[in-house]
Amino acid sequence: MPRTTTLECPGCPPLRALTFDSLGLIKVIESRVPQVVERWGDPDPSKCVLAASIDDRKKDPLLAVARKNGEVEAVNPLNGEIHAVFSNVGEDGVQPEDDAISGLHLFRRERPSGKALHASISVTKTWKVCGSGNVLCSKVDGSENYAVFGGKGVEVNLWDLEDCTKIWTAKPPPKNSLGIFTPSWFTCTTFQSNDDHRKFVADTNSHQVHLYDISAQRRPVLSFDFRETAIKVVTEDQDGHTLYIGNGSGDLASFDMRTGTCIYFD
Amino acid sequence: MGGKRRNNEREAMEEYGDDVELDKKEKKKKMEKEKRREILPSMIKNKEKRSAVHAKLKHEKKVEKRKKLKARDAEEKRALELGEEPLPRKIPRTIENTRENDETVCKPDDEELFACNDADEFSSIIKRERTPKILITTSRFNSTRGPAFISELLEVIPNAHYYKRGTYDLKKIVEYAKKQDFTSLIVVHTKRREPDALLIIGLPDGPTAHFKLSRLVLRKDIKNHGNPTSHEPELVLTNFTTRLGHRTGRIIQSLFPQEPNFRGRRVVTFHNQRDYIFFRHHRYIFETKESKTSDSKGKKGKDSKGEKISQQKVIARLQECGPRFTLKLRSLQHGTFDTKGGEYEWVHKPEMDTSRRRFFL
Repeated sequence: MPRTTTLECPGCPPLRALTFDSLGLIKVIESRVPQVVERWGDPDPSKCVLAASIDDRKKDPLLAVARKNGEVEAVNPLNGEIHAVFSNVGEDGVQPEDDAISGLHLFRRERPSGKALHASISVTKTWKVCGSGNVLCSKVDGSENYAVFGGKGVEVNLWDLEDCTKIWTAKPPPKNSLGIFTPSWFTCTTFQSNDDHRKFVADTNSHQVHLYDISAQRRPVLSFDFRETAIKVVTEDQDGHTLYIGNGSGDLASFDMRTGTCIYFD
Repeated sequence: MGGKRRNNEREAMEEYGDDVELDKKEKKKKMEKEKRREILPSMIKNKEKRSAVHAKLKHEKKVEKRKKLKARDAEEKRALELGEEPLPRKIPRTIENTRENDETVCKPDDEELFACNDADEFSSIIKRERTPKILITTSRFNSTRGPAFISELLEVIPNAHYYKRGTYDLKKIVEYAKKQDFTSLIVVHTKRREPDALLIIGLPDGPTAHFKLSRLVLRKDIKNHGNPTSHEPELVLTNFTTRLGHRTGRIIQSLFPQEPNFRGRRVVTFHNQRDYIFFRHHRYIFETKESKTSDSKGKKGKDSKGEKISQQKVIARLQECGPRFTLKLRSLQHGTFDTKGGEYEWVHKPEMDTSRRRFFL
C-alpha cells in the first residue's frame, strides 16, 4: 500500500481531506459519502510527496507540497491548479534525493512563498540547524516567530525565526538505571497550542511522548509511553490541550496533555 | 422464548389479511417450528437422553439429505435420457462465496496499481533486471526438523544459499547480505524444535513479511513422493485478490527466477484461501488417455487437446515432491527488519477478526 500522510482542512463537518501519497498523487476525500472526489497529478514515483503544508485562508488559500525530486509546488487546494514551482537543489550541489525535505511550512504573512525548513535550505534564508545528525521533524508555531526542530541524534531545539538564532535546547534524558544510554531519536513534534510558543510535544522512536516547557526546565515536563512501536505523527487539537498520536503499527489515540491520560484509543 | 412466541402470533395476525396461500405456508412453517420446539435436544437436562435424541435428529437429517440427493441425481439422469435439459444445479453457499466486500480488491484496469508495481521494490527483479539470490538462515537455536526443512527449501528455490546463524544480529545479517548482493533473506524460526515462522526480507530496503508456518510435511513423509530436479520451476500464485494480497504475491514472486523452464515440468504453487497460503511442489506430466481402447499412456505432449475423433483425453498427472506447508501472514513491515522503529503496512490484530467472512489477502 502506498504510504500516505494527511492534512485536514479545519472547520465544519462534513469533512474534506486532502491526502498525498508516494506516487505523487493528491486526492481529495469528502466525507458526505466517503469517497475520493478528485485526483490531481499523474502517478510518478519520483514525485513522491514528502511533506505538505496548507494555508487555509478565506481568500486564495494555498497548499504547498514538497516532492522527492526537490520540487516545492504551490497548489490551490480547491481545484488543484499549480501556482508556482520552486526547485530546491542545494547551493553546494547536494542532490535532492540524498538530502530529502523532511518538513514544510507555508507562511501566512507576507507573500505566499513556501519556505522549506530543512537542515540547510530555505528560499530566502539559509542556516544550519544542527551540526550532525538528521533533522526528521519540524514545526512552526501559530505566530510564526518560532520553530522547533528535532531528529535522529538531534535534540529538540527552538529557534527564533526573526533572528535565526537558537534560543532553547532540550537536555538529553539521564542515563538508564542499567547505564545504557539511548540516543534521542525524535520522529515528530508539534506545538501544544497555536498561541503559546513555550509548550511543545516531541515524540520519539522508542514510543515515548515528551511534553517540554521552555519556561520551566530543559528536561521534559511530562513524558509517557505509548504502546510498543515508534510514534510517527502527532497533532494538536484546537482546544489547546488535546493531542492526537499515531504510531507505526496503526494505533491512534488522543491524550489530554494537562494530565497525560488517554481519552480515546483505537 | 415467550417473546418469540408472541412475535410469531403477531405476525400470524397480520398475515390473515394477506393471500390465503401464503397464509397456509406460514401456518405450516409455524407448525413445524412448534413441533421442533417441543423436542429440542437442548431442553433435555439428562445427558444420556439428550445425546440420544440429538444423534437421532442428526441421523434423520442425514437420511433426508441422501434421499434428496438421490432424487436429484435420478431426475438429472432421466432428463438427460429424455434429451431434455436437466435442472441447473444450485450453487452451494460457501464462506468464499459470501466473503465480505473488500474495497481494496485489485481491479484489472487500475492504473495506480500498475504505477505502484513499477515503483515498488521488486520491480527490478520481476522485470528481469536482477536475478534473485536468496540467503536462508535460521533463528539462533535450531534442531530436529529445522535443518531438514531448510535442506528441502534449498532444493525448491533455485539459487539459494544457506548460512549458519551463529550469534549475529539480524540487522547485521541484513547489512552483510546487502553487501554480498543478495536479493532476499529468509529466516526460518523454530519453536520447540519445529519450524513455526518464516521471515522474508527483501533487500536492499524491501519489505519484511512475517508468516506463521504450520502443517509442515517433509518429503520423506509424503507417500509416492518424487525427487525434484534442478530446472527452474513454474510459479503458480492463485487467489491473491486484494492490494495486500497482491503485494504478498509479488514478494513470493521475487524469490523465484522469472524464466521458468517449461520442459522441466516442475511447478511450485502458492494458493491463497481464507488468508492461508498453501505451498505445494509438484512434477507433472501430460498424458493422453483413450477412453475406448486400452492403448494409452506413454505419450508426452501438450497437443492433441483438440482431437475429437477417438475420444482422447489429455490429463496431467502430478507427483508431489518437496515439502508441503501452510503460511499465514502475520505482519508486513515497510523497510527491512526493524520491529521497534519500523512502520508496519499491515499487522494482524485480533480485533480485526470481526466476522468469519472477512479476509485480508
